[in-house]
Amino acid sequence: MSAAAILTKTLSDSRRGLIGWAVGTALVGMVYASTYPSQRENVDSIPEALRQSLNVDGTAAGYLQASVFGIIVPLLAMIYGVTMGARAIAGDEESGQLDLLLAHPITRTQLVLQRFGALVAGAFGISALVWLAVLAVRGSAELTSVSPLQFLAQCFSLALLAITFGALAVGVGAAVGRRAVVLVVVAVVGVLSYTASTFATQIGADWIAHLSPFHYYIGGEPLRNGFQWGDAAVLVIASAIFVAAGLARFNRRDINS
Amino acid sequence: MENVIELRELTKTYGTRRGLTGLTLDVVQGEVFGFLGPNGAGKSTTIRLLLDLIRPTAGRATVLGLDPRGDGVQLRRRVGYLAGDFVCDGRQNVRAYLRFLAELRGGVPQARIDALADRLGLDQSTKIKKLSKGNRQKVGLVQAFMHTPELLVLDEPSSGLDPLVQQTFLDMVAEAAAGGRTVFMSSHIMSEVEAVADRVGIIRDGSLVALDTVANLRTGAICDVEVTFEASVPVSAFEALPGVGRLHLDETGTRLTCQISGPPDAFIKTLAHFSVTGLRATESALDEVFHAYYDGAEAAPRTDSTTLA
Repeated sequence: MSAAAILTKTLSDSRRGLIGWAVGTALVGMVYASTYPSQRENVDSIPEALRQSLNVDGTAAGYLQASVFGIIVPLLAMIYGVTMGARAIAGDEESGQLDLLLAHPITRTQLVLQRFGALVAGAFGISALVWLAVLAVRGSAELTSVSPLQFLAQCFSLALLAITFGALAVGVGAAVGRRAVVLVVVAVVGVLSYTASTFATQIGADWIAHLSPFHYYIGGEPLRNGFQWGDAAVLVIASAIFVAAGLARFNRRDINS
Repeated sequence: MENVIELRELTKTYGTRRGLTGLTLDVVQGEVFGFLGPNGAGKSTTIRLLLDLIRPTAGRATVLGLDPRGDGVQLRRRVGYLAGDFVCDGRQNVRAYLRFLAELRGGVPQARIDALADRLGLDQSTKIKKLSKGNRQKVGLVQAFMHTPELLVLDEPSSGLDPLVQQTFLDMVAEAAAGGRTVFMSSHIMSEVEAVADRVGIIRDGSLVALDTVANLRTGAICDVEVTFEASVPVSAFEALPGVGRLHLDETGTRLTCQISGPPDAFIKTLAHFSVTGLRATESALDEVFHAYYDGAEAAPRTDSTTLA
């Protein structure tokens, strides 16, 4: 088999969706980021307690962390990861297309890794576009206190977050082969993670936050502190574990017909 | 001759449902083997076991001397497979799609793909999504044949094909076999296998109930006989003959109908004692042989619970 036939095919099959999603995510990020000048004043009216839990302050980094990179953009990036991840094995298995691919001289491991590789490429593509979009409004939206490199660090984290949830979806899909199961599991994990990272401080259990991918995504505040390699490593390792665990099961089980 | 497929006590259970129970079967190199059975009898289960899409509960399968599990990649390189419900999807056209599948096999000459597509009347510029059922099946056939595999495993290959294309397909199968390649094809319709198969195996409820050459199966076949006599004959003369069944003599005693299975020798010799004015014997299609094996059998594999109920 030529080295990356499945990876290339997966990307090319999903290119319209990917481009649309990337442009959409980048636009949303850009629009939100541009509202910083008008929102800066409002921050002062938020109660102190809530401000702390949401990690909001009047600075550009604080605003972006709470809004653009706090909720909407990571959510969109994660949806991409999960959609691609659920489709990678479970989707094709349910539609019956996996039979055809696996009747070819490829291993199941190759199939999973190439599908996951396409997801990784897509996640970086989306993040890169988001980076370019916020750079485009950086001057006009008075965000110059955050350097392009710090923006890049945040967008890198964004890609890793999407990849982590994508890896979970790939792993569960490879293990069980049913898309509905994948979506339920990922949705539950996603909600719990978000809740854990947001409210851990308030309920006085900081350790819970350390279980959440969100913590490793934004907890180190890349917009202020630049690249957080330790956090990145945690997300990379978690992704590897999700994919490897799913693969271990996938290599042993029957393909559903 | 070398066995291309060797199944030994191959068993597959899905939970409590039996898929395959101790199937033992050899397919030799260069033969066309017809694997017959109604839907749910275990045909696709067997085929998917050969390709390592599913794993046996017990028993062993060897394909081209290889273990489907351990040597899967090497095995599948040498096999062409058409799934029972061949699905393909995508925005690209047939040409790009076939090129992608060829790439998974490390490349296939474009001329070979074009020749097969032309022969089956498949327009390669059509988008995969817009293909009709029959044309989609043609894509499945092209991808199964294109790398000239040593073994073709075809699950219900002619479903959805119009009769003309079906004939082309049968020609392709015959040519493959003439070239020393082996074809293992399943079907639930006897007639589509009858034309090309050297041997036929009939599977019911997950086990083999008959295995023979097409010619032998036909020898054991039942034929319908109708005889008219000049004068009335006694029914008793025919009643005790071996292989004669469903005997009926009309009121005038001059028109006799019956079914004969096996050699008709005794019947013919008895007929010779009377003055016969007409004789018509219709060899029943292999279809009837096939149905004979299914009499009393349910179409779907039975579960233990329903057997009890």
